Amino acid sequence: MENVRKIIENFTCEYVENYKKTWLKAKLSSKDDLLNLSEAIKKEGLRSLSTVSPTDFLEDNIMEMNYFFEDLDTKRNLWLKVDLPRDKEGCKIESLTPLFASANWHEREAFSMFGVQFLNHPDLREIIKSEDFKGVYPFRKDFDWDAHEKNQTQNIQQIVDAFKKEQNENEKDLDPDSSETILNWGPTHPASGPIRLRVHCDGEEVISIDPDIGYVWRALEHLVTKKDFVGAIVAVERLCFMDNINSMVGYCMAVEEIAEVEITPFASWMRVLLGEVARVSSHFMGLGGFFNNMGLHTLGMWNMDTREFFLDFLESYSGARIATASIEPGGVRYGLDMSMFDELQKALDKFDNSVGEVEAVFVKNPTMKLRSDNVGILTKEEVHEFGLSGIVARASGVKTDIRIDEPYAAYGELDLEYITQEKGSAKDRFMMLFLDLKQSVEIIKKAKAHIEKAVADAKMNPTKDHMVKVPKKLPKGEAISRVEWARGEVLMHLVTEEKAKTPYRLKMRAPSFNHTMMLNHLLKGQTLADIPLIFGSLYICQGDLDR
Amino acid sequence: MIDTLFSAFVFPGLLYVLVWTVGLFWFFRKFMAALHKRVGPSFNGKAGSYQTLFDLSKLLTKESITPDGVNPYLFSIMPLLAVIIAMLPAAFIPWMDGLVVVDSDYGLLALVILIGIEPFLLFLTGFGSNNKYSFLGGVRILTQSISMETAFFLSALSPALLFGTMNLTQIVEQSSWFSFLILFPGLAMYFVALLGLLEQPPFNIPDAEQEIVYGFYTEYSGTNYFLLKLAEFAEFMAVFAGATALFLGAYKGIFFDSYFFFFMKMLGIAMLMMTIRAATPRITLAQMLSFSWKYMVPLALLNLAWVLFAKSLWFMGA
Repeated sequence: MENVRKIIENFTCEYVENYKKTWLKAKLSSKDDLLNLSEAIKKEGLRSLSTVSPTDFLEDNIMEMNYFFEDLDTKRNLWLKVDLPRDKEGCKIESLTPLFASANWHEREAFSMFGVQFLNHPDLREIIKSEDFKGVYPFRKDFDWDAHEKNQTQNIQQIVDAFKKEQNENEKDLDPDSSETILNWGPTHPASGPIRLRVHCDGEEVISIDPDIGYVWRALEHLVTKKDFVGAIVAVERLCFMDNINSMVGYCMAVEEIAEVEITPFASWMRVLLGEVARVSSHFMGLGGFFNNMGLHTLGMWNMDTREFFLDFLESYSGARIATASIEPGGVRYGLDMSMFDELQKALDKFDNSVGEVEAVFVKNPTMKLRSDNVGILTKEEVHEFGLSGIVARASGVKTDIRIDEPYAAYGELDLEYITQEKGSAKDRFMMLFLDLKQSVEIIKKAKAHIEKAVADAKMNPTKDHMVKVPKKLPKGEAISRVEWARGEVLMHLVTEEKAKTPYRLKMRAPSFNHTMMLNHLLKGQTLADIPLIFGSLYICQGDLDR
Repeated sequence: MIDTLFSAFVFPGLLYVLVWTVGLFWFFRKFMAALHKRVGPSFNGKAGSYQTLFDLSKLLTKESITPDGVNPYLFSIMPLLAVIIAMLPAAFIPWMDGLVVVDSDYGLLALVILIGIEPFLLFLTGFGSNNKYSFLGGVRILTQSISMETAFFLSALSPALLFGTMNLTQIVEQSSWFSFLILFPGLAMYFVALLGLLEQPPFNIPDAEQEIVYGFYTEYSGTNYFLLKLAEFAEFMAVFAGATALFLGAYKGIFFDSYFFFFMKMLGIAMLMMTIRAATPRITLAQMLSFSWKYMVPLALLNLAWVLFAKSLWFMGA
């Protein structure tokens, strides 16, 4: 960390300060230094750019850029800021994509939403937002959403026109005598989900893939700024319905940091417990999805069967099976009736009884290994370069797990170990999911035992300890928080104004964004049959891809 | 005259194929549901037995959409041809002692050829759909059938070589427990090739839903789709019945001979196929090709050599 600080201090900065245990926070005085500084810290080892997050300060006429650099090996991170002028002519900065491949889409997103021009970006097209936002920047504070919504017919017409134009020009550049074609793999393809991959292929062979995303864009990052700090959780949890708890935990941690509130041990253990239940229910779907993509639905069905028991517990706790809205700034939303643990015990028993047959039939399946052992290989180097996280990174042997790197909630009290695979193939990612699932179940057991013991010893009061008061109005401030989400690292960057009732800006860095970026890289030169397999193995959710 | 009409429309003709399709469809659903830990159809009729009937009659009444830019005749005649070709083999099968519609000395040849034409018709359905996914599915089915049929035919020939006749009735009459053992490698290979020919997992490459939507089926709807499904299930019957007649002694039973045993043997093959379906993911086209030409075809040839050897050892002069 000292080395990083020295490097930064070579440049003129407004401040350099330590932030949390693993972060350094600095603000550059001039945007001209950005490229040189990034190059220097990349040499030092901070090789991944987690995300790029502009914040639009309308009154100060400033567009503040936030860059989050990470080193997945030594766990040193840098939060770098630099100010840009807000006006459209001056809002320009050097692109970091030539240095950090992972910056590519993040810069495109910043360009689409805030109109920040990135110089020397190889492919600065608009992304995520629909065609009716072409040329306007919806996340700028002076963008008038109401006026935009009034022109509904015109907006729809714009989308239709763009679609027709695309339909006509789709195959314009192809040689009509060749066997090359463009397949639209989605958004209504059986295995795609709401994403469209433009697959340029020659017969069965894939030449290139250009993902077109944004089909489920709900502008969640804008939506939270219309809600109060508690109401925002329902927008945050819709990052992806499969693991909704952990995204709320991340958001609530950021709010609590600004409000300077400490949650109770009971609440932090409940966050671990609920978070792992959500992770388990997500991983069940992921495991089933992996096999579904090879035309085998049995594992998906078996997993659904077990998953229902875990959802039963979530239902008994929060009243909802999927969108639970059960984590709130200040703790967890509801007290715990200890009899609810009976439901959880049923789920755990069910899991223990059925995991053996899943392992025998599917995890050791020879045909699965034949299909997936040698495709979609990601090296350690690529994991760093593209800023991958979660099971995808661990499958390549990179030891990264936010639960251990930067313990939050009660994870610090648990004795966790990194689970990794070596090769980074599609099969390894499947194995990783399975092992992660087993680890999560172990954590649930430990957390449950811990809570039960503490309640029995009268150290925790499950009906009263779940919340501490968080003021409705927050001071001016900003915070980042990271959680290990089911699909990887979620980074929340929260900015508040003085006496704020609503978040001023919330950036959610979602892992699927980086993982989808890899598709072209992984699938070039493979066959059509590998598309669903590799796509499925990256464990992508369109919810957090588009936000 | 009456006999011919009965054969054509009742048994083993149209009605039989329809009942078989409805029944087998329902059985597949229930059997698969049990393997999936689901319930399967359960509302209509006893254990959901009417469900398939309703589904098929619904398809018949739905609009059959012909996409823009295709030849409507090619598009609509292919499903019809596919059904007819798929139903024809039933005429050559000895369903019961003395019950075979066409008792030909070339029954086996007819069976093999009629089964072999079917994939080509399905290729044409894909070719005539003017859809990229259908076309890819069509090309895939052609690739697959060419490579799988070689092994299929070679293993189907082994009983003919052993018994010295292509007449299916005579093959059944001469079969015994001993010949079953000799032909067992042939049966195993016939079964694997059958999976490839019927596009069943792990060889369900031509209609791989996650890759090319529904392959050659993609553009078909309503009656045409119903006909294609009917052809698929009639094809199941032809291939299962072929296996039963060639290797398993057709209607021959333990204490008495009856159609009941024929049916149970076909059902056994269907159940084995389903179980494999529930536990095996799909392989890729390249893997299927190398499996077929590197292993299946040489093994099928070796099997012929084994059958000839066995014949010279135990069946000469008999």
